[in-house]
Amino acid sequence: MPLLEATDVSKTFGSFRAVSGASLSLDQGEIVGLIGPNGAGKSTFFNCLAGDMPPSAGRITLDGIDLTYASADVHARAGIGRTFQVPATFEDMSVLDNVMVGAFLRHAHRDEARARAGRIVSLTGLRPDQRARSLGTPGRKRLEIARVLATEPRVMLLDEALAGLTPGELQEAIALVRKIHETGVTIVIVEHIMEVIMTLTRRVLVFNQGHVIASGTPEEVVRDEQVIEAYLGRPFRREDRRD
Amino acid sequence: MTKLPTSRVGVVLLAAGLLVYPLVFTGAFYHDVGVSFLLAAIAASAWNIVGGYAGQISVGHSMFFGIGAYTPLLFYTLFGWSPIAGIPVAIVLSLGLAALIGLPTLRLSGHYFSMATIAVAELIRLLVSTWSFVGAAIGLQGPASGRGWWDLTFRSELPYYYIFLAVLGLVLAVTAAFESRRFGYYVRAIKAGERAAKSLGVPVLQTKMQALALSAVFTSVAGSLYAVKTGFVDPGSGFGILVSVQMVIIAALGGAGTLYGPLLGALILIPLQTATNNWLGGGGSGLTFIIYGGIIVLIARFEPGGLMELWYRLRAKRWRKLDAAA
Repeated sequence: MPLLEATDVSKTFGSFRAVSGASLSLDQGEIVGLIGPNGAGKSTFFNCLAGDMPPSAGRITLDGIDLTYASADVHARAGIGRTFQVPATFEDMSVLDNVMVGAFLRHAHRDEARARAGRIVSLTGLRPDQRARSLGTPGRKRLEIARVLATEPRVMLLDEALAGLTPGELQEAIALVRKIHETGVTIVIVEHIMEVIMTLTRRVLVFNQGHVIASGTPEEVVRDEQVIEAYLGRPFRREDRRD
Repeated sequence: MTKLPTSRVGVVLLAAGLLVYPLVFTGAFYHDVGVSFLLAAIAASAWNIVGGYAGQISVGHSMFFGIGAYTPLLFYTLFGWSPIAGIPVAIVLSLGLAALIGLPTLRLSGHYFSMATIAVAELIRLLVSTWSFVGAAIGLQGPASGRGWWDLTFRSELPYYYIFLAVLGLVLAVTAAFESRRFGYYVRAIKAGERAAKSLGVPVLQTKMQALALSAVFTSVAGSLYAVKTGFVDPGSGFGILVSVQMVIIAALGGAGTLYGPLLGALILIPLQTATNNWLGGGGSGLTFIIYGGIIVLIARFEPGGLMELWYRLRAKRWRKLDAAA
């Protein structure tokens, strides 16, 4: 049985159909990428998977348990954790306190939650007593990942968690995601940076205008004509020139 | 909660200062100021639980204060019972009202809760003003002279001072206890970002309801203390909008969402109010509104986190300097 399964998920806003019959089946320990142009429906699909918004149609299950209309906190308790495209850290709280909010999900006792959060913060290289407000973009993104990790998720949804980083920071972030994956966490990653997709994932779904237009290994999808047309573009060729 | 270490010496000094204050300043005037300060600090600390920590701004907390004030005196008026008998009933009524308002509005993000609290508080005030069962515009009175200690009617202000101080201690102890526990982290996370909090498994509605319930209980108790002490309540002093606004201003001035913020706010605002009332008499009653308005402008412009936030910042800066020098 797949760990996370989304079947024919659609989401409409009034007459606009943001996601149309998208399906995803994830096995334990997989790492899958979602790519596509802006407005393709990736984030909306992501929000449905995370319980942030209920789908208009379709079904979402985790380990066979129906979570289709469950709220985000129920998804988190079931084992689905997410980061946000624009980091949503708790600004006035310290790094450790931010992570403790996540740790309290599985550890009601303060000392246990603190110990768990402390271990995770040390993985990220952040200073525990630093206020979230004072962190730059890379720090905030790391903090978000740490916070989700503290909830002990079975599936982690990373929404452009590596965007906006310098090449050096990107390599560190890729290493961090790998480290998390090695602990057995299943990961879905929405990303525009193809280097991340090519390096981290074994399977990719390509969204365009609310539809999944292709899926396969990263090597397969980058060669797919539809994907090249809709998203990747192709290198300039002499015959493309209009004289 | 990891925070700048609170000076234990400061807390002990504060407690000692509050304990000996009425023994050092022995005049009735000083005792009256002390009691007013403690009552304002209790009410603002109670508001602080839902408004300061959870960030759900209620501008109609007078509804709980009013219920707390009216119910004990109603019990005395109807049955001749000690006003104390009405206090638990007032708490239950306040909890019911909190559920009635909170359940539909706290599900929504935005200002619905604030608007609902203002509307309900004003509605109750208008209702009470015209309802003869609860004394209409005249209000209710308690026992003129105590039939026993259980009536809590004392000639001296001193017993009230220590009763109020004990209740304030209880409110602060409960707040301090939850501040460092899961509930404290959850309310702060909700204030900082509901969507993110929810994504980490925080049961947002349930946590907000718990904060509102706790806040309503203590606000109701503050209202009961007020009624027992003054032996009188009318729609304005129980359910008036100024009662709510005072709680918000005091907490915001001292530092909403901090343990000692409301205490600090009350320490500044109550003597200031008493002074202006004494200097200007009844003619200066409108000055209260001007002071409140001025404080709102100053806080919003210069220190949205209140004076405690300013204090934490200055202290952190000093430590950094000392660290650099070492």
